[in-house]
Amino acid sequence: MPFDNILVAIDGSEGSDRAFAQALELAAITSGRLTALAVEGPLPAYAATVGEVEEVRREKEAFFQTLVSRARQEAERAGVALDVELRPGHAAELIVRVAGERHADLIVLGHRGHFLRDHLLGSTADRVVEHAGCPVMVVR
Amino acid sequence: MSGLATAAILGAAILAASTISVEIGISVALIELALGVVVGNAFDLATPDWLAFFGSFAGIVLTLLAGAEVDVPQFRREWRASLAIGIVSFGAPFLGVLGFAYWALGWSGEASQIAGIALSTTSLAVVYAVLVETGLNQTLIGKRIMSATFVTDFGTAAALSILFVKPNLWIVPFIAVSALLVLGLPKLAPWFFGRYGNRVIEPEIKLVFASLFLLMWLGEKSHSHAVLPAFVLGLALSSHYARHRQEQERLRVVAFAFLTPLFFFKGGMSVSLGALLANLGVLGLLFAAKMAPKLVGVYPLARRYCAPNAVFTTLLMSTGLTFGTISSLYGLNAGIIDQTQFSLLVSVVVLSAIVPTVIAQRFFQPSAADEASRDAGLRIALPAIESEGR
Repeated sequence: MPFDNILVAIDGSEGSDRAFAQALELAAITSGRLTALAVEGPLPAYAATVGEVEEVRREKEAFFQTLVSRARQEAERAGVALDVELRPGHAAELIVRVAGERHADLIVLGHRGHFLRDHLLGSTADRVVEHAGCPVMVVR
Repeated sequence: MSGLATAAILGAAILAASTISVEIGISVALIELALGVVVGNAFDLATPDWLAFFGSFAGIVLTLLAGAEVDVPQFRREWRASLAIGIVSFGAPFLGVLGFAYWALGWSGEASQIAGIALSTTSLAVVYAVLVETGLNQTLIGKRIMSATFVTDFGTAAALSILFVKPNLWIVPFIAVSALLVLGLPKLAPWFFGRYGNRVIEPEIKLVFASLFLLMWLGEKSHSHAVLPAFVLGLALSSHYARHRQEQERLRVVAFAFLTPLFFFKGGMSVSLGALLANLGVLGLLFAAKMAPKLVGVYPLARRYCAPNAVFTTLLMSTGLTFGTISSLYGLNAGIIDQTQFSLLVSVVVLSAIVPTVIAQRFFQPSAADEASRDAGLRIALPAIESEGR
């Protein structure tokens, strides 16, 4: 069965919520395994005080705890077995790497549509599509 | 320009710095410094007295916070490695930069000392962010690096207070009050904070601020500097703050919301872009004068205590930001260095926050998982080795 090992990237944005909903639907149809990867973005670079770093770290922890527990609840409601991975790092790089580690046969991710960043640097979706070793579904 | 007009421009710039920092993920301090340079040079703003005053006070508050962030139990466990790396990390660039500034650049003895102090620092906050982000703060190497950073910071605070002291009779009450506060405040804190703390009027923060103002006044009267007692006071309070995180948090909120932006803006506004552009060669040489002794001095010790991540350790120990800026501003305010020298030193400090960090993260970052398993191996091996030794 194709798509029985799906990796979906989640970050709490609207795009990622839509991607997660699609991935849940797909996993329910294929009775596949679903892994949700939450990528923790970087802490403030070149901080002058430990307090600044601590504050952002605490905010992130609280945010991702909520995000992960919400994903688990939605998966449970959909009757899909869900693994969650929370990792710090660069989003595109990690999505491709974790997909490889977990032998995912499909990556699902949302499109945020940040005008400036996308046009100047390319979006996360662009980079994942370019480097992934399996099909990628970009949900708009 | 009137004081209020300056305050209005600064208020807008401080707000802009906060939002830019959140959007691009770079620390607010660096953005404040950069915007300070822009505002200072574009508007040709003279630094008003109130900004100089609050900037100096903010520097002392930052020093206290740096002391309070030290993990004393961790330092006790790792004191041997931390002392060795920390002392060399301070001493080598201090002597290297001092000598370079004095003999090669022809700076005065005191200006060279300020250069040596400002460029010998290691930034605990920069190091901490890198270690936390990668999970290395939980590993032995991460803990050793953080403890060593404390030693380097202590060296900076001590040098700034001791080297420029021209003692008079006021030094006696300055030392006595410093000792009294360092020994007494941690004992008084549980009772005072318990009885008066947790209120919106924040008596516990006022107690800390009153203590710092007293130290600054006595420091000035005795022709010394309050940076060392402020750092040691923070250190003395670190155990109390470790048990009462909310108190430390409120102190940070007050400091970050109002005081530290004034400190970093004051720093940025005092930078002359013209002087900097006219001395780009000297800037490069000063950067090399900071990095070379750090790398040469720390690397052999890092190989001994932090193998196989010696390069990563050495690069992180070469970062600097807050203490470097504090030292440079002290030199400028005290008339020891001029605006060109200040501009050069602060620019090298900022470069040293960025360049070694980027290289360390990009090319030499160890895996936290590998380090954790190495630590686990060490924990198993060490008791066996110790029992064989017996």
